[in-house]
Amino acid sequence: MGKYIAKRIGYMALVFLIVSFLMYALYNLIPSDPARAQLEAQKQGLRPEEYERMYQQLREQMGLDDPMVIRYARWMGLWPDVEGSGFNGLLQGNFGYSEFFKQDVIEVIKAPMSNTIFINIFSTILALGITIPLGIYCAVHKGRKIDNGVQVVTMLGYSLPIYIIALIFMFFFCVHWRIFPISGTKTAGAIYASQWDEFIDMLYHVTLPVIVMTFASLGGMTRYVRSAMIDALSMDYIRTARAKGLKEKVVIYSHAWRNALLPIVTSIIGWFISIFSGSVIVENTFSLNGMGKLYWTGLNNLDFELVLAIQMFYTVVSLIGSLVMDISYGLVDPRVRVDK
Amino acid sequence: MKAKKKEFFLVRWFKRCVLGDRSELSTEEEERIQTPMRAMVASFVHKPLAMIGLIVFLAIFVFVLVGPKFWPLDLSEQDASLTNLPPSSDMMKVPDAMLKAGIADIASGNTYGLGTDANGQLYIWGHTKITDKIDIADIPQEVHDADLVYIAAGTDHAVAVAEDGQVYVWGNTRLQQDKFSTDMTKAMKKGGEDWDVIQLEASNQFSAIVCSDGNLYLWGNGNMADIKIRSKYQGNIAKVALTENEYICLLTDGTVAYTGYKDKNSSFAKIPAQLKGKTVVDIASTSKSVAAITEDGEIVVWGNATKGEDAVPELASKPVHLYGGRYHYTALLENGDVVSWGDNKYRQIDVPDEVQAADNITAIYVSNYQNYALADDGQLYTWGLKGFTLGTDGLGRDMLTRIVNGGRVTMTVGAISVIIATILGVLFGGIAGYFGGTLDIVIMRVAEIVGGLPFIPFAMILSAVIGTRLDPTQRMYLIMVVLGVLSWVPTCRLVRAQILAQREMEYVTAAKAMGIREGTIVFRHILPNVISLLIVSMTLDFATCMLTESTLSYLGFGIPLPTPTWGNLLNGANNSIVIQQYWWQWVFPAAIFGICTICINLIGDGLRDALDPKALER
Repeated sequence: MGKYIAKRIGYMALVFLIVSFLMYALYNLIPSDPARAQLEAQKQGLRPEEYERMYQQLREQMGLDDPMVIRYARWMGLWPDVEGSGFNGLLQGNFGYSEFFKQDVIEVIKAPMSNTIFINIFSTILALGITIPLGIYCAVHKGRKIDNGVQVVTMLGYSLPIYIIALIFMFFFCVHWRIFPISGTKTAGAIYASQWDEFIDMLYHVTLPVIVMTFASLGGMTRYVRSAMIDALSMDYIRTARAKGLKEKVVIYSHAWRNALLPIVTSIIGWFISIFSGSVIVENTFSLNGMGKLYWTGLNNLDFELVLAIQMFYTVVSLIGSLVMDISYGLVDPRVRVDK
Repeated sequence: MKAKKKEFFLVRWFKRCVLGDRSELSTEEEERIQTPMRAMVASFVHKPLAMIGLIVFLAIFVFVLVGPKFWPLDLSEQDASLTNLPPSSDMMKVPDAMLKAGIADIASGNTYGLGTDANGQLYIWGHTKITDKIDIADIPQEVHDADLVYIAAGTDHAVAVAEDGQVYVWGNTRLQQDKFSTDMTKAMKKGGEDWDVIQLEASNQFSAIVCSDGNLYLWGNGNMADIKIRSKYQGNIAKVALTENEYICLLTDGTVAYTGYKDKNSSFAKIPAQLKGKTVVDIASTSKSVAAITEDGEIVVWGNATKGEDAVPELASKPVHLYGGRYHYTALLENGDVVSWGDNKYRQIDVPDEVQAADNITAIYVSNYQNYALADDGQLYTWGLKGFTLGTDGLGRDMLTRIVNGGRVTMTVGAISVIIATILGVLFGGIAGYFGGTLDIVIMRVAEIVGGLPFIPFAMILSAVIGTRLDPTQRMYLIMVVLGVLSWVPTCRLVRAQILAQREMEYVTAAKAMGIREGTIVFRHILPNVISLLIVSMTLDFATCMLTESTLSYLGFGIPLPTPTWGNLLNGANNSIVIQQYWWQWVFPAAIFGICTICINLIGDGLRDALDPKALER
């Protein structure tokens, strides 16, 4: 198992390098000149030849004239930086400098990252807590009215785009009943007595986004769980278990559920990755200060070091997701031996 | 076995769905092996939900495909006077009570109508809420009590003159729309001969009154409009015609003059040479042009006639009266005919046949996009803008047009992306499955990487990075390619797995044993077994691609405005003002798009169930 994981991680690192290189190359397609941008403020006070000299100097300092591979390696932290003093790149924890926020990227993404992870994990737990029991219930009561009703609702959930669901929820909860605020992560101008108050206020603001994300993911997951359970329940060993006179609960939760788990785990991981995609939309709709919103802002302002860093974050999330998926196969189902 | 004559498959579907008579198959026929495709279709048509989905989807599909012919898209379209209008069709719906009492006067604002009956009673209809705060229907009680003789409707204000010469202004009065000029107040105070109103007009935030002594009084927002008159003309004015911000006058001696102070840069001040030495009988104005009728029946139009206002048609007889709308003119001819010309976006110039047939038209009231013609038997004919079925957006564009055209764009993008994705998927999947070995490993690793990337962020980045240098049309193609390139992975996996599985099937071995060529085996034997699965995945991918495209457009990284798509119609809808007050701007696009994706998913589910015999147990 250990060997397998090591192999997987090696493979992940390779994929990460390839993807990051492709991304970096993609950004180099953009005609931008950070050296000129930095000098723009002083341009008025300088004579042309002086400006030109400073410009060339700055280009050299920034290493803009080097080949792209070297610049990439520098950015990644696999090549000594321009002064040759040492490695200072992504791998060393230097995520670059955000031109738009005039701050180090790491500072910029701190708060949004914690918000996004908080929202996503919260809605994951909520969604799993609802979908699994619901899916099992529907599978066991297949064909009854309640099952058909749930089928219709889940159909809506996975057919409708998440922003339409968000708009409908906003209409009812924010505008019509005025239960939740329509945007933001905190009350404007609020001064908090304690950290706890601040936390409660944030919780209040993210409740609706979490509900929307949960509702949007209910559809697909419930159907997965339901169909996996139905498959499992139609197996011969279930009939045998029932014939033995086992309690229905034991049959469902011990015999059927454990066998249904494998396909469910696959979809859970895939879905967990897609939640990060989905949060781009939800965060923008609700103006939440999260990674998705930041990504959107960065892209709109062509702040590419920031965007690149966030893109790397998404890539890492999806790579770790697929690793966890592979490992959990083995944990969930001993028949699957991943290390073979 | 006698070969039965085969009907076209749609006919057969229809028969099975609607008539429900399935002829009993003979054992022989039943034993014939059906292709998976045929089995799938046979099973599919008996799923009511899937069939409903198919029918509704096809209906929407045909609607958005044919719709643009009826509601053509004009990308540069915008109209500040028609913004944020709710769905309505009552802009020319004159109250019955007024018709009964006899119509005395009608004035029409952009979206509402005002009228007085023979008793001086005021009526109002149409969309009267100009902004959140200003509602023209908030008529002061004193206006209701007064005996009105003249009414006029401006952009955001309304004016009325009572029998006793009292002038009332309501609606928006914050920009001095109710501040009368000093000489006007003086004349009003004197009353009698000095204040005998013969004409009342209102336009964009200013109004005008002509008195029988030939004096013209103008008042309103002087920052926008020319509301002054050169004193040498005072006392000679017979009629005034207001454009959006300027005006011209018909003088008592039968000439036309620009009597204001802003005549230096105004195109209205250049009175055409055709009018020199001729007596003008009537003048009228649209928002950007003015027109005059000479005594010998010639109609001359000048100003900025950009929407066909100057394309005067051949007239059957001499025009007597001329009326101006916002971008069109209507003329009443000597023989009783009514002719309209100019902009026809809202069918303002489509004079109804009844009006043409009737030769007893006594009065015509034209302004903005509406025309009212009154016959002497009290019958009222209307033509022009009735209202917008689905409302308008923040730039005054018709939502229905945008939804129909947006649907076409969204579906086109979805369809082309799916085709690209399928071609790539079949190609790579086929190569990987057929050749196997190293090529297989490489392709599947690439597929893993592409499939593992978070879709939306990646598509956003591609669109942002490459899209900055492209024009809108190229960007649309870019989105198609990006979606196609990013979504071929599932198809590739499907095709590869199918080919791997089918290759080991007995029928392939049998075919090989019979010495059939490799290519024939792949295309004639394996492909028909795969294609039904491929159709299912294409259907579902189509929904996904449409969803992704609209999501990207919603976020502003897809098809750029002003090209409409179902996604970017909802762009900007996420604030409380739009959600609550302008609900039609998001409810309709969201509803049609939602229905569409639900239908595609129903079809996809139906197809999948139809393919998988095990699914029947579910």
